[in-house]
Amino acid sequence: MTVFVDLYTDADTFLHRLDPRVKIVAVVLLSLLALIIGNLVHLLVLLAFVLLLLALGRATLSKTVFALKFVFRIMVMIVVLWPIFDPSGTPVLAELGPVKITEPAIWKGVAMAVRVCCLATVWYILMFTTSQRDLVRGLVKLGLRFDFGLALAIALRFIPTFGVTVESITDAQRARGLELDKGAPLRRSKNYVAVLVPTIVSALRTADMLSLALQSRAYGARPDRTYLRDLKMRWTDALALAVVVTIFAIPAIAKYLLDASL
Amino acid sequence: MSSGGEGEGGGSPAAPRNPAKFVSPKTVALYGILTALTTAVTMVLVVPFPPTRGFFNLGDAMVFFSALTFGMRAGAICGGIGSAIADVLLGFGYFAPITLVAKGSEGLVAGAIGRIKAGAPAAKLLGVAAGSLCMVSTYFFSEWVLYGIGPAIAEVPVNVAQVLIGGSIGILLSVPVSNLLRTAGRPHQER
Repeated sequence: MTVFVDLYTDADTFLHRLDPRVKIVAVVLLSLLALIIGNLVHLLVLLAFVLLLLALGRATLSKTVFALKFVFRIMVMIVVLWPIFDPSGTPVLAELGPVKITEPAIWKGVAMAVRVCCLATVWYILMFTTSQRDLVRGLVKLGLRFDFGLALAIALRFIPTFGVTVESITDAQRARGLELDKGAPLRRSKNYVAVLVPTIVSALRTADMLSLALQSRAYGARPDRTYLRDLKMRWTDALALAVVVTIFAIPAIAKYLLDASL
Repeated sequence: MSSGGEGEGGGSPAAPRNPAKFVSPKTVALYGILTALTTAVTMVLVVPFPPTRGFFNLGDAMVFFSALTFGMRAGAICGGIGSAIADVLLGFGYFAPITLVAKGSEGLVAGAIGRIKAGAPAAKLLGVAAGSLCMVSTYFFSEWVLYGIGPAIAEVPVNVAQVLIGGSIGILLSVPVSNLLRTAGRPHQER
């Protein structure tokens, strides 16, 4: 199983240069947009727009496949199962006991699948074009408390380290005769306690060392924070924000204020 | 360390821009590390199993462990954020906000109930059961909205099995580690 620990790829596109705050707001607004509109054609337009942005962010093919791999299975499940549970509408195409398959329900299922696909891909515009450092900085600037931002940065830093720790402890315990591939699922998972206890103990040691390091650097001594590189909105960022807000606002206003069916 | 993340450095909701508002470095380090550990365990320790998603992960064990050992704040923050990061890195990015709520509430409730009477076995069991209920129902309702009722029902048994395994391992883990923390004190002092 290939596991990405950092989805970011370095490149120099306008998406990479964009302020992380603008990207975070854009992703949230586009996700909400996907939930607001229900029409299949509109959803397909939105999906095309999202995929275009992914392409403009120079996402490699393997990463795009990664972003779509899991969601594709769910999309198939929705298309198959939606009509079975939704008996509304006419014409009825097939009837079997209590189950009615109708034509509008089939199209609704397809639209729901496209919606889930939009929601899934829009995230990766942000993840592929923003480094973890910028992401945390953007979140802190958007109002996340600084200490939680630091905890988040620590977490992101240590994920690969602990991934390696877990794997090497698993190997060590296997070498001592621990069987992880045999037995019923419950029993098999209980064997993992022998892996998890050493992992946790070593992680708690790391936490203690880390807290000493933080104390020695006078963490929390001053209430105001200074930054080496501050985030500044440039006119391109403001323009991008305006474009995204417009894209979100027009369908939202049309739906909720003008009662148009979307 | 033995007091966990509770009540250090003025964790209660107060006015911002107050220096005492920062949680202590010990807590920041502990939360960061537990979050990373939750993510790593969710991504790496995968138990192969046939139905739908094809595997169980032991992430829930870490959520319950954090909640039962270090309290509800650690459970909510480390469980919620750690599992959400794992979702993003594994390719379910759009599910991350839902996971944040589902696992966060799981950790919160398990930590709140599971530590009554200094973590009596009955309290732990009740906490894990209530936390599991939060997680399964959050996933069920959000999948109902997103995917429709069919796939949502199909996911329930998978989630139930996952919390059953995660809960039992979480309790098994919290007992020896809590004892260790109580007796050994701070690990870096003994070395």
